[in-house]
Amino acid sequence: MNKFAVAIAISLISAGSAFAASVTNGDASAQTIVVTEGSSKTELQIGAGETVEFCSNGCFVTFSNGDREALTGGETVEIKGGKATIK
Amino acid sequence: MKLSMYGFEPVISSFRHYFLAFALFFVIAIQANSTLAQTPEQPSLASPVAASGIVAEQRPLIDDLKKQISGYQQKFKDKADADAALADLRLELEATAKKLLEIGVSFRPRLTEINSRLEQLGQPPAQGQPAEAQIVTDERTRLTTEKAEINAVLGETEDQLIAVNKMIDAIGDARRELFANTLSQRVDINYSLGSEVAGAYGRELQTMNQRISSWWRFVIAFKWQSMLAAAAMAAVTALVLLIGGQRVLGHLYLRDATIEAPSYLSRLAVAFWSTLMRSLTVVVFLATTYFFLDYFNVLREDIASLFYTLFSVIGIVYFVHVLAQAVICPGAPNWRLVRVAPRPGRILMVLITATATITGLDYLADTINQIATSPLSLTVAKSLFATILVGLLIFSIALLKPLEDQETGKIKPWPKTIRFSLYLIALLPVVAALLGYIGLARFVSQQVVINGAVVVTMYLGFLTARAVSDENALSGTVLGRAIQTRFGMDDTALDQLGLVASIIIYVFVLLLGIPVILLLWGFQWSEMTAWFLNVATGFQIGSVNISLVAIAIGILLFALFYAFTRWFQRWLDIKVMARGKLDSGVRNSIRTAVGYLGLGIAGVIGISAAGINLSSLALVAGGLSLGIGFGMQAIVSNFVSGLILLAERPFKVGDWIETAGVGGIVKKISVRATEVETFQRQSIIIPNSSFINGNVGNWTHRNKLGRVEIPVGVSYKSDPKRVYDVLMEIARAQPLVLKNPEPFVAFKALTSSTMDFELRVHLADLSNSGTVQNEIRFAMIDRFAEEGIEIPYPARDVKINLDEADVLIEALTSRVKAELAADAKKAKPKSV
Repeated sequence: MNKFAVAIAISLISAGSAFAASVTNGDASAQTIVVTEGSSKTELQIGAGETVEFCSNGCFVTFSNGDREALTGGETVEIKGGKATIK
Repeated sequence: MKLSMYGFEPVISSFRHYFLAFALFFVIAIQANSTLAQTPEQPSLASPVAASGIVAEQRPLIDDLKKQISGYQQKFKDKADADAALADLRLELEATAKKLLEIGVSFRPRLTEINSRLEQLGQPPAQGQPAEAQIVTDERTRLTTEKAEINAVLGETEDQLIAVNKMIDAIGDARRELFANTLSQRVDINYSLGSEVAGAYGRELQTMNQRISSWWRFVIAFKWQSMLAAAAMAAVTALVLLIGGQRVLGHLYLRDATIEAPSYLSRLAVAFWSTLMRSLTVVVFLATTYFFLDYFNVLREDIASLFYTLFSVIGIVYFVHVLAQAVICPGAPNWRLVRVAPRPGRILMVLITATATITGLDYLADTINQIATSPLSLTVAKSLFATILVGLLIFSIALLKPLEDQETGKIKPWPKTIRFSLYLIALLPVVAALLGYIGLARFVSQQVVINGAVVVTMYLGFLTARAVSDENALSGTVLGRAIQTRFGMDDTALDQLGLVASIIIYVFVLLLGIPVILLLWGFQWSEMTAWFLNVATGFQIGSVNISLVAIAIGILLFALFYAFTRWFQRWLDIKVMARGKLDSGVRNSIRTAVGYLGLGIAGVIGISAAGINLSSLALVAGGLSLGIGFGMQAIVSNFVSGLILLAERPFKVGDWIETAGVGGIVKKISVRATEVETFQRQSIIIPNSSFINGNVGNWTHRNKLGRVEIPVGVSYKSDPKRVYDVLMEIARAQPLVLKNPEPFVAFKALTSSTMDFELRVHLADLSNSGTVQNEIRFAMIDRFAEEGIEIPYPARDVKINLDEADVLIEALTSRVKAELAADAKKAKPKSV
């Protein structure tokens, strides 16, 4: 019974996520976005159909089509046709 | 050399941070207001006329921030060796970073607008295609230009943000380095310079004397009214607190000498309140004095810093003293919290207060050194003296034999572990100071005093929590009794309340104590809030993201929704279904179903609010279902059966059922099992699957109508017709017997001794069958007696078949003859 409880707890925790922005790539090809968070710029690869969580404390993002956005964390970004929309 | 970096300063600066936090709250509130006020203006941004308006609007803000940031850079260079300044700078930088992000976000609505408009306009026509209208081309160009403009500004903001964040990182590095330097810096102690130090000391005294007297002359000459007013106001405030506190809360913390053996909880409460009220009085007095002096501009800058330090030192030393007194309580041994004997207790208290005083004085002297700009040798000499003294004091504390044996009352030394750690703590500053590591020595001695005070306070908090959670601890206190009478709780509820209170106290002590200790260790308020926010809003362990706030919200939502379900369930049952004259079985089914449904929904809401992805749960459930299928087959089967029972309702609560040899009244139908109470009041828990798989007899399924049979046998001497009539009369005369279906008398059998009748009557409520049967039988006996109808004993006619009857008769006759002959013989001699 204990193991069962542990298994459930672990699965619950592993399923958890909160308060970060997430970006979903709805295109057929991988997309690269540049994320400026903290004192560094990093490139983030998002495969086709993938959803990636990033930017928990606010950041600037440059999308592959050159669009820039500032995120506070918690937004949901969707890339479709090379264009990003924020919800 | 900067020796005063850690130690007292964090405590003092922490007050400032509380202030800052408070101020920040106001600023945020005001900002929130202003954003609210700005909302109606938003549409103006959307109009194409104000196209580049957003950039123009934000530009001055960005330029301002840029200026600020370069100011910060300069400040960072200038104050690279002042820890407190760096910490403040970091706070300011964090606020700036936030502002930069806000500016970035403020472009978003316009950007979205531009993007959607561009999409509407479509791509410019390719070569060979018909040209589009000029107006469209113009608009596209205009929008693209504006977008480029915004993107450029965003890029600029981004660069500034990177610069700010880099500076924040650099400050962290610088502060770590500073701290390491302070601890590792070594000063050559030249004992031959004693005379020089003495001279420097003399000069310092002179300087301070001059400064203070010049300030004093200035005060007397120009500010004496303000000075008096400040002193009076501070004194009045402190007096109000002192007298008012004693009046209102005095019963809480004044020790009642008449109480022989106060309970541990009341001792703790008295210790707590006396420490709090007494130190609060002093702190308020000092704070108001400082505030009013500052307010009336009585303080010069150097004097202000001197007063600030002096007051802080007095406050802390007094707190340590009061705390020690509350815990050791040498004057009233029955009120003490630890078993320290009165005489050594008094010495211990003096030693503790002395340690605190010397550490405080050292700190004060440091400020004086800074004000008087005395040579380093003096600082070193004074700190050497102070730290060695502190070491010796702690050493003597370790040597003390303060503890009292619980049984014998004999005095014994500290336990070994405490004694040796005290020796170690005493040795560390002394050795460090003698080796020249004055910074380390001071750090250690200051930490010992302040951390000691905090740890002891926390320990008292934990003791309180433990005492509160003890069984029936609350009901023995005034507060507990007051709560009990006010809310009408019973002892168990109060006990549970005590448990909850103890948990709350534990959490409270930890939440308050750990930040204070971290502050003392040189962590900054901003760092801690950042950590706390990180922990609260989600931190990553591997690929797992844990967010305490989300989990707490999840639990809260679950509890709220579950409570709502319970309320809804009750409301539905009592207000709606009871009025709808619904059958109790249906009511029960609906109530149970609503309960489980609500529980399920509450669970889902809670889980999703906790940020747990339900789809990944489905995966887990899929994996588990196989295991469940095998391992919990019986439970699942019972569960499903329970659902079927609720839906199909072959019986309901209150029904009289019989199954598998068990008969009784259904008390409760749960999802796994059903509780049946037999007529002997034995509760039997029957798994639901047995109801689904087996036969269930229900006496009261559709109605409570039932038939009762009473057999009776009468003698052949009576007239069966008459018996029939009598039985019918008896049945009809019973008020509980139904007229329709009418009673029936069955002439069942003709047995050897009786004519067997059976009276069959129908009852509206089968639960009355016992009474009715009794009544009928009483009536039968009475009427049969009146009518002369006999209920015979079982009669038997015995017929003996004897094959050798003649032999038997012969034997009998011969025996009779022999007896007669014997009689005749006896009679003869008499007659002779």
